[in-house]
Amino acid sequence: MGIALLSFVPALAGLLLPRKLPRTPQTWLLAALAAALFVVLLTYLPVVSEVGHLEFDFPWVPELGLSLTLYLDGLALLFALIVTGIGAVILLYAGYYFEDSAERGRFYALLLGFMSAMLALVLAGNVLTLFIAWELTSLLSFLLISFKNEKEEARAGALQALIITGGGGLALFVGLLLLGTAAGSMRISDILANETLTQHPWYTPFTLLLFAGCFSKSAQFPLHFWLPGAMSAPTPASAYLHSATMVKAGIYLLARLYPPLHETLLWQNTLLLVGMSTLAVGALFALRQRDLKAALAYSTISQLGALTALCALPDYLGTKALLVGVLAHSLYKATLFLMVGAVDHQTGTRNLDELGGLRKTMPQWALVTVVAALSMAGFPPLLGFVAKETLLEAMLRQPLALFVVVFSAVLTVAMAVIMVWEVFFGESRSAAHHDEHHAQHPVPWQMLLGPLLLAAASILAGLNLEGFVTPLIDPTLEKEFELVLFPGFNLPFFISVIAFPSGLTLFSTRAIWRRARVPQPPDAAAIYRALVGSVERAADLVLRSQGGKIRYYLIVILVAMSLLMATGGLLRVFEQPWPFEFSGSTDVLKTALLLFTLGATLASVVFKNHLTATLCLGVAGYSIGGVFLLEPAPDVALVQFLVETLATVLLIIMLVKISPQARERAIANIWSNTRRGLARDIILSSIIGGGVALFALAAVLHRPIPQTIALWHLDNALPLVGIPDVVGAIITDFRAMDTVIEITVFGIVGLGVLTLLTVTKPVGDWPLRPLQALRSIDLRTLRIKRPTPEAPDAPPSAIFDTQTPGMRFATPLTRTIAKIVLPVALLLALAQLLYAGEGPGDGFTAGVTSGLGVALWYIVFGYGETRRRLRWLRPRRLIGGGIALVVLNAVVPMFFGYPFLAHLSFDLPLPANLHLSSTLVFEIGIFLTVFGSSSLVMQAIAQPRDVEEA
Amino acid sequence: MNIIFAIAVGILFGLGTFQILRRDMIKTAMGFYILFTAINLLFIAVGAFNGSAPAYSQNVGVETTSDPLVQALLLTAIVISFGSYAILLGLIAISARRYDTADSDSLDHLKG
Repeated sequence: MGIALLSFVPALAGLLLPRKLPRTPQTWLLAALAAALFVVLLTYLPVVSEVGHLEFDFPWVPELGLSLTLYLDGLALLFALIVTGIGAVILLYAGYYFEDSAERGRFYALLLGFMSAMLALVLAGNVLTLFIAWELTSLLSFLLISFKNEKEEARAGALQALIITGGGGLALFVGLLLLGTAAGSMRISDILANETLTQHPWYTPFTLLLFAGCFSKSAQFPLHFWLPGAMSAPTPASAYLHSATMVKAGIYLLARLYPPLHETLLWQNTLLLVGMSTLAVGALFALRQRDLKAALAYSTISQLGALTALCALPDYLGTKALLVGVLAHSLYKATLFLMVGAVDHQTGTRNLDELGGLRKTMPQWALVTVVAALSMAGFPPLLGFVAKETLLEAMLRQPLALFVVVFSAVLTVAMAVIMVWEVFFGESRSAAHHDEHHAQHPVPWQMLLGPLLLAAASILAGLNLEGFVTPLIDPTLEKEFELVLFPGFNLPFFISVIAFPSGLTLFSTRAIWRRARVPQPPDAAAIYRALVGSVERAADLVLRSQGGKIRYYLIVILVAMSLLMATGGLLRVFEQPWPFEFSGSTDVLKTALLLFTLGATLASVVFKNHLTATLCLGVAGYSIGGVFLLEPAPDVALVQFLVETLATVLLIIMLVKISPQARERAIANIWSNTRRGLARDIILSSIIGGGVALFALAAVLHRPIPQTIALWHLDNALPLVGIPDVVGAIITDFRAMDTVIEITVFGIVGLGVLTLLTVTKPVGDWPLRPLQALRSIDLRTLRIKRPTPEAPDAPPSAIFDTQTPGMRFATPLTRTIAKIVLPVALLLALAQLLYAGEGPGDGFTAGVTSGLGVALWYIVFGYGETRRRLRWLRPRRLIGGGIALVVLNAVVPMFFGYPFLAHLSFDLPLPANLHLSSTLVFEIGIFLTVFGSSSLVMQAIAQPRDVEEA
Repeated sequence: MNIIFAIAVGILFGLGTFQILRRDMIKTAMGFYILFTAINLLFIAVGAFNGSAPAYSQNVGVETTSDPLVQALLLTAIVISFGSYAILLGLIAISARRYDTADSDSLDHLKG
């Protein structure tokens, strides 16, 4: 069961690990964590090989057939082992690769997130969860490629990779949906068990769509060009994502769906053709690269092509070679990438033209590289040799393919020799340059550990296939199979024998063929560039139509919306006669209050003075509250009154923050439009108001009385939730998830206002960079890391300018009142909380009531004194604590076997009609969040510009 | 009665729109607030039944109660409108502070 949650572990570790941890404990802890995951997965090996596959199920959105299903079979386990095993090596390496601790932290966060996503991908037991994980890996790959985001090249490469793999992901999504629908289930086990899929009429469309997804992800020709572009990622990321794990996701999916889908010519021919072209193109282009990483990228492409081709073979002929190939490639290619990172680290270059003779300064690295390169070339007794032998063996019955495989095997031998020779042997070029770097960037010995381990694994696995490799691939292969290092003097062996001298010949003649011009084969890069270019041109066109006046945009939006509403309204409003119900004194009162609202609103429009208009608006809001009270909706009315008060106070405090001159200028401009402009505004407003009125009429005339769920709510509030207030029951129980989200939004509002007003600083000039502002909040403590002193251009130092006569609020009387009001408000809040279910008032009103008490303090005492005296008030902690409490309260029932957010009730003998239930805890959480958020908004708006955050 | 509500919603929406179209950003914010109020009013108007008693369990069966569902939605709506309003005011405060103006027409720094 625990394994089902395994894929969340790395991401959680990334979130929870203290950021300030020094390099050594951080690195080793994370590497040990990944290694521990590796060991945990290993313990499943015997079980899996015994029972075939394991499946765990967590219902998630059962209505959509979406569940957190885990499907663990030999294939998934092999990939998961690679993800965690190579992951441990990469984490260890990266800790010493990045010298800047901030960079290291960012890299770790992204890499651990990726590890989680990749594990979720290979362990997914449901094609929809597989898809989500698939997209997550694309996104994290994007972030890792653009890691050095100040470089344009990195951003371009990242965007290209995202567009290609994301586009493929869309195709995959549709393909998976079709596949799941055709199979009648989204579960992988059901799909695998379905034997009629190849006869399904949708077979061709969904297979092609799946191919598009897999080919884009696994960099198959002609979509391969994003992978070399992705080499701007930091080398550990390239080694991990773009060689060992993510690019193999496409191969994984092909292998995963191989059993039910492979018995058609469409499957076999397409995969063979694409795989073979990729194999040849990759091997050919690898030789032409001078950048070591680009060379490795093309060589990876070539290997991925071979793996794709292996998925094409009928009757599971390719499976053995596929599994060995995936394993061998991950081991040697990751080593080579890590070597390039070390060389780059030491010499500052990875250009083959500038490298050479490094065996003197990096002898251990030379050794590791020789092993990995020999494995890549397929030299016995390394695992790469076994991989090549099995590949040749599998391809024996495909003459054309065999030819391509042999051809690229020769090229790969040449590539491997070049990589060893030109980096570590030969004469050292521009030696002075190297030495200078050597002094600055010596490669720490810890970086060598990982590659050493991988190289040793290549050797040991090759020597002891029985012990290391057979158990890993055994659960996947159903039939008996033979895996030996030396199967005798057969055709594959002779091909190997020929490949080596040919490759060496190719290597020794490199001076000649390097001068030759090889024409670039057509790939999709040109199409990609044309597409991106046309999107940019279209954007230019759109930009030209922009006037830049916000009001015009608003007019367009509002008019369009109201026309839509008017159309909808007109269609339905005259279907039936209007019943004019008007009964009793309540309706007279309601009408009077509505008229009062309209009048007050009109007054707020007409009065130019801001304060007057604000007060008129407040009156309008209170009248609406009266209407709610008469409805009768006492809960709503209470909230309306409180929120109206809070909003009015907020606006008044805000007004003081804007300089009087600016406000006067704005007031002078209110009516300064031309008379035509004014007429236009009036006409537009009338059109919009009319449209909305029509819509509202249609809405009130078609009230769905018989179908409403409200009746059910009325009947079941008391029996199911145990509180008589039906509205409260809906908020805290029937629609509790909405409330959770709502208070989260409200908490974010508080943080957002704080961020806007106190954190943002001009970066260069306008515009603000919101990301920068967000980054300066420490997410764990919700504290601002770098308080930013504002430019000292004469701000008022308190909310209200106490020097101006008539603005002195801090009289002894008001001070006393404020001091009394806050505890009373808190007491009132407590009462509302405890008896939330009995009548009006709940956690929310309690929060706003207390928030108003705090607002009074800010008005009377000003910012500095309030913050000094109310030290216990920590709004950000309240928000965080409140949300945490709500989530905790929602999760607790799950431990007792109830669903998320289930209602728990405890029958305790409490005095004064108190009742302890999960609803009460929920209300307390709401209260804390709302109290925190409203105080935070007040604090943010009241904070003078020259006061730094304490 | 509900028809009166609908008409009031329309008028409020028109007034709010007019207010939004002023150059004064504070007035614009008020306009948004009026729109929020108008929509909240519509919520109560589309309640499925007109009751004369609050939606409490003890009133069920004795009298017709008001529709609890729209009230619950309305509670959320009021809170979220206040949140949007607070963010809006924060935006206005920061731009007014930075450019010393509350006139939206003089804010053209974002123009590309």
